[in-house]
Amino acid sequence: MVVAEPTTLIIFRVKGSLELRCHLDSTETSHIQKVLSRTFENLRAQIKSESCVFTVCNTPVIIWPNKDVYEDITPDSPCEDVLQRIQSDEPESGGKRATKKKGKKDLSASVISLRLMMEVTKPGPLSAPVISKTVQKSHFLSATLPLDCAVRTHSKDTIKDVCDRLLEALTQQLCEMEKVMLQHMKGSTLLTAEPLHFLLPEPKGLVTVVFPAGVPDKELEAQRRELHQRFKLPNDRPYFRRANAYHFPNEHYKDGYLRNPHHALTHPTLENGKVFMVQGIYSYHHYMQDRMDDNGWGCAYRSLQTICSWFQQQGYVEQPVPSHKEIQQALVDVGDKQANFVGSRQWIGSIEVQAVLNHLLGITSKIMFVSQGSELASKGRELANHFLTEGTPIMIGGGVLAHTILGVAWSESTGQIRYLILDPHYTGSEDLQVITEKVPACT
Amino acid sequence: MGRVYIVDEDVEEYLSKLCSQQAGPVTGLLIGQSSGQRDFVVIAAPTPKDEESAGKTVDKEWVSEHARQVSRMLLGGLTVLGVFMITDADAKDTITTLRQLVFAVENLISSEQKWSPAEDDVTDCVTLHVNPKTRKTVCRTFDIKDPKSAAKPADLKYQSGVGSCWTTVSCWLNVDLLIPLPDSRASKENSQKGLQVWTRQIENAVCLIDGKKLPEDSELTSGQVVYDELHRPLMQCRILLLSAVRQEEQRSADVVQPCGGSVTVRGAVHCRAFLHTHKPKVKLAEKLLKRDAISTVATRVQMLLDEPLASEEQIKDEFCLPRRIFCPLKSSGSLYVCDYQFSDEGLSEIVDRLKEMLGCSFPACGIYLPSFNRTTPHSLPLTDSYCHMCVNVFCSFVFFLPSGLGAFMAAAAALLATAASMMYYSDM
Repeated sequence: MVVAEPTTLIIFRVKGSLELRCHLDSTETSHIQKVLSRTFENLRAQIKSESCVFTVCNTPVIIWPNKDVYEDITPDSPCEDVLQRIQSDEPESGGKRATKKKGKKDLSASVISLRLMMEVTKPGPLSAPVISKTVQKSHFLSATLPLDCAVRTHSKDTIKDVCDRLLEALTQQLCEMEKVMLQHMKGSTLLTAEPLHFLLPEPKGLVTVVFPAGVPDKELEAQRRELHQRFKLPNDRPYFRRANAYHFPNEHYKDGYLRNPHHALTHPTLENGKVFMVQGIYSYHHYMQDRMDDNGWGCAYRSLQTICSWFQQQGYVEQPVPSHKEIQQALVDVGDKQANFVGSRQWIGSIEVQAVLNHLLGITSKIMFVSQGSELASKGRELANHFLTEGTPIMIGGGVLAHTILGVAWSESTGQIRYLILDPHYTGSEDLQVITEKVPACT
Repeated sequence: MGRVYIVDEDVEEYLSKLCSQQAGPVTGLLIGQSSGQRDFVVIAAPTPKDEESAGKTVDKEWVSEHARQVSRMLLGGLTVLGVFMITDADAKDTITTLRQLVFAVENLISSEQKWSPAEDDVTDCVTLHVNPKTRKTVCRTFDIKDPKSAAKPADLKYQSGVGSCWTTVSCWLNVDLLIPLPDSRASKENSQKGLQVWTRQIENAVCLIDGKKLPEDSELTSGQVVYDELHRPLMQCRILLLSAVRQEEQRSADVVQPCGGSVTVRGAVHCRAFLHTHKPKVKLAEKLLKRDAISTVATRVQMLLDEPLASEEQIKDEFCLPRRIFCPLKSSGSLYVCDYQFSDEGLSEIVDRLKEMLGCSFPACGIYLPSFNRTTPHSLPLTDSYCHMCVNVFCSFVFFLPSGLGAFMAAAAALLATAASMMYYSDM
């Protein structure tokens, strides 16, 4: 489907959990398979039943899609009407977002969250309550299936169409969950399934994949390879690792760090200038975070943390962002520092950053030396090229200061250059508004 | 400023009657609804006489047991508010006895309840001492949450028609549960866990009135109203179950567990709650209706879960849950009480049981069952054809535990001939 205007896209995301419960008379594999399939069949029937309900979060809209009953909206209304009914916009953790940014990777789409519910009251026909009791040494299977489907629609699509597509997506997801559970069954041990969304380059867009829960990424290589093939994606960068999962704009990050705060800024205009920026997602690390008082000495550590976060969030590494102690320990481990370095408040420089990246994350990096700050301007081409080809953040350190360069606006013809800097010296809270207003982003 | 207890005139009359009977000390329960600083008392239920201990001192356990069974007969919104005693004994002694009684009663009742207490629940209970000679009343309240609570003064006011003009909310709840039984007989707690998941789901469920989710603090004024056979209005609610609460880390080891069997419960139950004002708050209506739903299902299911199977060889058993029968209060324009009927009981037995437990009289053309549409799903029984489906496990059944009360069953059986006419709730 070709998308003419990306700004009129709306994502409808429905989330809900269904209970998977069944009684197993025996733990023989074929018996479990049969009972499981039957139980999934019942769950699919529930989705198709009249008790299935969608409620739109933050609105009074309630829909019974299989009964064609719509509360507070008509089935023929276009999707954008639902947007208008959303009374309160959930602010991102740490402050208000700027509306309508033009990101290349970002969908600039609005996300409408729905909840899947089941109605348990009925006007009729009804039957008398019956209890059936079986006493027998056996097994019981009990799991919660976290359903999570998303469909992309145009703002003019009708609500009815969207609901139909969501129902289909939910049914399809249940089938996939059944397949994944049966595939990863070992004897009588079963794993639940977990759906994750991934944003692939256009025109493939948003794709949902069901993975077995609790299985680490490295054991799922075969599945990812098959997915890369199916979607014709290159094999040199990860797309389907758990860290690559798409983060919906209206979701909070559990760790509380801001992501890509530079998106809230506007680019400078240079004559014949072009903007070259970091590609992907990083989290903003700065002074005083994590209850670590590193005011005055930790800037390079924080810059290093920002860089590590980039590798983790693009799915290249699974290690979490290292703490100051871990960074110091790594330097001791490679022999760069003495043992008493750990726990001290000593600065580090580019060389140390390179050593840690190599030792902890297995990443090679290049160091570019400039004897004076003014010389940096002559490296414009190289910097631009780096952002184009590698797209990773750059740590710049010298003497007593360190910063992170996230991008450059560079004019090939005039040689003018502007830098987009992420400043680790900030000591305040994760408030996006304060960060983008108070801290000058460009030198 | 203590609490104010607004007592219906019929209750006052009944208490007077008890006073003039002069049959020794009488104890009983006060039943109604609490709200804010005021409480509304609509029933005074005397404790049935215990032949064994006639005339002796007040038996705490007997009164508590009476209260436990009475609270099963109360629909959403009505609870045991406290105890009363009609005696010419000294006021100071009486207050001590009453204090012990009220704590015993309330502790037993709250140990049975399956729903979680809310922050805005009233925890004060009343003790009423009436001197039959002087007709003087002493009314005190105790905070049940605090075992060391001192008596606080409370006011008693009599009013007519306290039981009329209550708002009723109701719904038919479809139950479809599958609960594992514990692996070893010893652990009874595990069987309660299965119901607990469902109970939490109901407590977190979204309640719709007239198809809309209303804000909690708004008042319930209009809604889809239907009328029952006695032309009393019922406001229909719909309950949407939030999907199961997600367990963040479900280890693969937890998914399949050994068990000792399973229990399935399927069918529809009728739930009802009463609110004493014309314009009750939505939040209260939802809370009381949900509590009624939880009580009625949990009560019936729990009793059956604890009951062992008739014989050891029997693996599978299927039986109907006792059905709920509603009976209107004469004194009230809109209130009902209920009881559970087993297949081998007639409706007149129900009426007699209600009379014994609650001490009030019911109109002759009174009781009815909310009826079900006649359906023909082959495996599920219709309400009328219980008999051949039921296993007679319940003869020794625990609905009236102390053997003394069993005498009532015998007496009631003898009165079978007096059939109360039944009215069926017509199909909608």
